[in-house]
Amino acid sequence: MITFRMNGLEVKVEEGSTLLDAARFYGLEIPTLCYNEGLTPYGGCRLCVVEIGEGLRTKLVSSCTYPAEEGLVVRTDTTRVWAARRMMIELMLAMAPGSKVLQDMASRFNVTRVRFPLRNDECILCGLCTRICAEQMDAQAIGFQERGHKRKISTPFDMRSETCRLCGACMYICPACQLRCQGPNAETAICNGCLTMEPTCLEHYDDLQCWMYDAGRCGTCVREKT
Amino acid sequence: MAAKKKLRIQDLAKIREKTKSLMTIREGEGRARVTVHMGTCGIAAGARDIMDALLGEIDKAKVQDIIVTTSGCAGLCNAEPMATVEFKNQPPVKYGCLTPEKMQKIFIQHILGGQMVTDLVLAVGSETMY
Amino acid sequence: MKHYRAHLLVCAGTGCVSCGSFKIKEALEKEVKKRDLQDQVQVVATGCNGFCERGPIVLVQPDGIFYQLLKVEDVPLLVEEHLLKGRPVKKLMYVPPAEKQPVPKMKDIEFFKHQRLIVLRNRGRIDPEKIEEYIAFDGYEAMAKALSEMTPEGIIDEILFSGLRGRGGAGFPTGKKWAACAKEKRAPKYLICNGDEGDPGAFMDRSVLEADPHAVLEGMVIGAKAIGASKGFIYIRHEYPLALKRVEIAIGQARENGLLGEDILGTGFDFDLEIVQGAGAFVSGEETALIASVEGQIAMPQQRPPYPAQKGLWGKPTVINNVETWATVPNIIRRGADWFQGLGTETSKGTKIFSLVGKINNTGLVEVPMGITLREIVYGIGGGIPDNREFKAVQIGGPSGGCLPAKLLDLPIDYESLTAAGAMMGSGGMIVMDDKTCMVDIAKYFLNFLQDESCGKCVSCREGTQRMYEIVKDITEGKGKESDLALLEELAQITKDASLCGLGQTAGNPILTTLRYFRHEFEAHILDKRCPAGVCTKLIRYVVLAEKCTGCLSCKKACPTEAITGTLKEVHSIIQTKCIKCGACREACRFEAIDQQREEAIQII
Repeated sequence: MITFRMNGLEVKVEEGSTLLDAARFYGLEIPTLCYNEGLTPYGGCRLCVVEIGEGLRTKLVSSCTYPAEEGLVVRTDTTRVWAARRMMIELMLAMAPGSKVLQDMASRFNVTRVRFPLRNDECILCGLCTRICAEQMDAQAIGFQERGHKRKISTPFDMRSETCRLCGACMYICPACQLRCQGPNAETAICNGCLTMEPTCLEHYDDLQCWMYDAGRCGTCVREKT
Repeated sequence: MAAKKKLRIQDLAKIREKTKSLMTIREGEGRARVTVHMGTCGIAAGARDIMDALLGEIDKAKVQDIIVTTSGCAGLCNAEPMATVEFKNQPPVKYGCLTPEKMQKIFIQHILGGQMVTDLVLAVGSETMY
Repeated sequence: MKHYRAHLLVCAGTGCVSCGSFKIKEALEKEVKKRDLQDQVQVVATGCNGFCERGPIVLVQPDGIFYQLLKVEDVPLLVEEHLLKGRPVKKLMYVPPAEKQPVPKMKDIEFFKHQRLIVLRNRGRIDPEKIEEYIAFDGYEAMAKALSEMTPEGIIDEILFSGLRGRGGAGFPTGKKWAACAKEKRAPKYLICNGDEGDPGAFMDRSVLEADPHAVLEGMVIGAKAIGASKGFIYIRHEYPLALKRVEIAIGQARENGLLGEDILGTGFDFDLEIVQGAGAFVSGEETALIASVEGQIAMPQQRPPYPAQKGLWGKPTVINNVETWATVPNIIRRGADWFQGLGTETSKGTKIFSLVGKINNTGLVEVPMGITLREIVYGIGGGIPDNREFKAVQIGGPSGGCLPAKLLDLPIDYESLTAAGAMMGSGGMIVMDDKTCMVDIAKYFLNFLQDESCGKCVSCREGTQRMYEIVKDITEGKGKESDLALLEELAQITKDASLCGLGQTAGNPILTTLRYFRHEFEAHILDKRCPAGVCTKLIRYVVLAEKCTGCLSCKKACPTEAITGTLKEVHSIIQTKCIKCGACREACRFEAIDQQREEAIQII
């Protein structure tokens, strides 16, 4: 068993656990996007960052990949951590504003503006599709191509894949396309309808479309000071 | 490919000894410097044969740290071919009217033995510059 | 060994080769033969001399005379005058800028005399393709000592006490890294030499690999004994064909002579090396990405811990060090940790190689003791700025580093002082800039580099670099907004905080340092829509000064887009809509009649 401190609490977890595993075990909330329990951790979205270390040597690391270490000091909700998380959401929204998962996260964590020109890439390069295709479906039909700003997901040589069995797992797991945000103007703006606590979607739809249904987490403590 | 012998630690030291001349020349160091004067007068009088003789003696004696260089006319054209021998921290010694045999004698007696060949010496020391 | 009376050391580093030094060597050999001097004069191709500004270079020993900027036509004169008649050729010697007299001897030239050569000690004096020459200058002596007289712990202690820190950029104590790996029990263990050198403007590692490859091999064998490794890999980027060739030859010769492979020097120690070629990515210089690349996978950094010293290549304990670090090791073992401790500053021991490039008179490679000031490097060794222009900034550490302004010229160079100033030692690239350099343009250049080279995994790095580039590009085109600077700072800081690897963690530096020291320049671009240095093309325009124009048609002929109107003896004028701001007209004008105006002046009219 490994013993370390998380948010001032002494926690004990099994060898081989990550910081995210430890947090979830103890009921501490850490947002994630590219993490999925059934797949190997990727550490790409940087939403799950937590602050480790003390004094001048603190740094942010992705909790889904960082192994639990004896005597480590971890803090999951500092100003530095939240500044980073909010910027990640802002950056991802600028890539794929139509994603309901991202729009909900924006509302939840009080991201009220996107200061970058919207790109409508649709894909946020989180790698969930490539991993489910390789690890769960055993097909490895799609993967990452290029690096940096040219990075994209495709089949080898952009040709029709012979190993793809059209199972649809990639579409199922994709956070950008699994649910399109139904809010008005979702493609071009940040909706934030839920922030006002008014069910704006009820003006257009019969059902409540957003996160407020998610076991009453109101998120008031993470609001920005206006 | 010919099978090269694998080196042992002692071999490294041997190679270093063998190539010591490389070290001295490449670093511009040496215990003595011999200048064979090869101005037009020198070459006409046969300075190249003096040079060949000198290098031949160096090869034969297998010394590693003698610097051999050339220079232009030394000024006393009718005493060509000439050579100047300079030891570290000692005044240069000018030899004149040389032949290959005289060069060989100078090499053995002065350069290796440290003793000037007085009857062949033209002058000791440099000219004063005003 | 044949005794030659003179050695012509022809610099054959990549810089001089591209200026034709191999042709010079051929010409020298031909001329020497023509004069029947081939038994007296040896012509040798050596590695890079460091004074790349002046190539092709030939050093004549034992006279110590330095010849530069040679052409094939100069060769007959050189051979006849210097080698035959003993009269060194003045017109082929180096004349310092702003002076008239040549400096004949290499050891008297400013560029060379302030340097302290340790890693580069063999540059310009041995043929890197001949192992005997390396051995002649005490080569492999340290390895012999390490294998026959020292224990692994003893070697690690020596490196630890010397204070050697990794020369790849991070400056991690090498001895600590080795000790951590030596502790691991799993086998086999590996060594890797990081020769990826991706920083723009850096060519230190290339020089060492081309000029003295055996130094790296020797260092790695010593390291292998220290940590218990059986196999090593030298990773060289494929953009360095000459380095690849020379290292391959060196490995072959070392194996032939029993200095690599099984039973080295008969001591019973086995260690072999293999070359791995890089594939063109800057990120593969990051150690975990490099390991992935050696394994044949895509070069993407991994979370650390676990560190490579515990779990590296193929999951086994691995030590990765930079080329310069490996090449320093034999010197420390041969001369002792105390000797090394005597050089440098309190926290940064030894020497460091810097590549001095940009707006500097003496472009080249310099090795200096840590603690030397920037001023000594720029003005002493570097010979100052060309055309006597003003020094503006020096960029240190590549895209991960930062720009230091003139007020920091007296900063002593060591790891800590550079980090405190906001820059970074990095691999040692030093790009000097004058007053005609636009700092916003420089930030844009590095951000463009980073957005291309980011591996793309982390949102913070991939999106961060792209968006920072976007904003800075807009600023250079006159589209900047007041809120941009705060946004840039926020984004740069978060990119640094949240990214996984060194690339992302330092990607904010180009912006953060230029904003720290040159904020006024950014403000000029944003608020005044003006580029003070006259670089950003969208913020400048060219006009003909009527009072100075003589109507000579020179500019009209030079213009590639036919944007200039006017006939002979008539004042010309530039059609702004056709002008592409190339500046050809200004260069062609002999009467200084074309002025580069700032955009703001136009609005006032």
